[in-house]
Amino acid sequence: MQLSSRTYDADNIAAVQELYHSNGWTDGLPIVPPTREAVEACLEWAMMPPDQLIGIEPVRGLAVTAEKLAVNAVMAGCLPMHFPVVVTAWTAMMQEEFLMHGATASTGGCAVLVVLNGPIRLELGASGGFNALGNSDRATAVIGRAIRLCLINLMDVRPGVIDRSTLGHPGKFSYCIAEDEEDTTWKSLAEQRGIPKEASAVTVMAAGAPRQIMNEWTTRPEDILETFAAEMRANLRHYSIHPGNYALIIPKQLREHLQAAGWSKTDIAGFIHERARIHRREWAEVGKGAVVRDRGDSVYPAMESADQLLVVAAGGPAGGFGAIIPPWLGNKSHAVTMAIGACVDCELPKKQQ
Amino acid sequence: MTFRVLDPTPEKAPPVGQLAPRLDTLEGKTIGFISNGKEGTKGFFAHLDRVLREEHGVAKVVMRTKSNYSAPADAHIVAEIRNWDAVISGIGD
Repeated sequence: MQLSSRTYDADNIAAVQELYHSNGWTDGLPIVPPTREAVEACLEWAMMPPDQLIGIEPVRGLAVTAEKLAVNAVMAGCLPMHFPVVVTAWTAMMQEEFLMHGATASTGGCAVLVVLNGPIRLELGASGGFNALGNSDRATAVIGRAIRLCLINLMDVRPGVIDRSTLGHPGKFSYCIAEDEEDTTWKSLAEQRGIPKEASAVTVMAAGAPRQIMNEWTTRPEDILETFAAEMRANLRHYSIHPGNYALIIPKQLREHLQAAGWSKTDIAGFIHERARIHRREWAEVGKGAVVRDRGDSVYPAMESADQLLVVAAGGPAGGFGAIIPPWLGNKSHAVTMAIGACVDCELPKKQQ
Repeated sequence: MTFRVLDPTPEKAPPVGQLAPRLDTLEGKTIGFISNGKEGTKGFFAHLDRVLREEHGVAKVVMRTKSNYSAPADAHIVAEIRNWDAVISGIGD
């Protein structure tokens, strides 16, 4: 396999770390040395030649090859089996509607949330259970980190360079979750968005930090969802009134009440769409009266339509918690869902002697 | 143990635009502003418009605002640039 990346020799593991940190090639944490063998193993697993063009970032015209994604994936800690997820997530991020440049350069400081669906979650050991939005498992940790390292090294999305985030948030280290599909009667997020149940898929969303809610004092779906809607209204008041893709993360305890009452994800989205909206005049209550002007009666829904809500089943088995994940800046970026493709008629790249 | 490791950055430099030739004078020129439309740009460009006309003899200032402040300028705005002697953009937050 003919790799094109420049190589460096380092005397020991500490020297490797210093090489990568001093060149600004890391997120500040130690990396796994991207050796030829490790990178080739990723490419072989995905059956991709190193120079395969994954896409061209539409704003700045930067080409992304399989080899460079693999180098960064290895650095993040990915095993070869994780690599196809990284490739698919990046392919999704390069779709025009995702507006990767704007989302990753913006002062708004969002991160790329990756949601995994389908059988690959089980193959990778990706968990949608305990601590789903935190350090739940190896697979989601390294896949999410690979997304960020690729942004840093392939797009120059470094703080103060292309990344102009005022604050950012911890999800910019890694922001990947697997949906809990085993323990739910709901359709998966990918299924809701048109991917066949048997396929594995990723959904990417330009996403703010999670905002956690709690309501363990009711079993009524309307009451449970009102708490989620209220948190979305708070985001509309305190952050931005731009409508777009919000994500709802619903762990098992609250999910069981909703499912027992026969509520599907579509029902939930319909309810939330009606309830998660504010009048512009409410901005005056939170210090933003200066921009209410004569439009106080205007109504701003959190989503343009109910299907913009991404409902995800995830979280540990106990606790009346949930979370909303707000969009970076409404419809300026749209979530993209893409199946993880298998190249059924590709030949394995030949090894160079 | 020694390691031979790979560079994670692209070998090819990203395609970059080139600066247009500098103007000898602003006198009598047409200057285009491409605003991202954010709140702070209004006062800034209004002031700059006045300074260019009153202090530098600029003949005409054309103000255009992007439809999405996080995305590149709309195609119809880019098409207009050829009619201007200089353009001021990339400003505003």
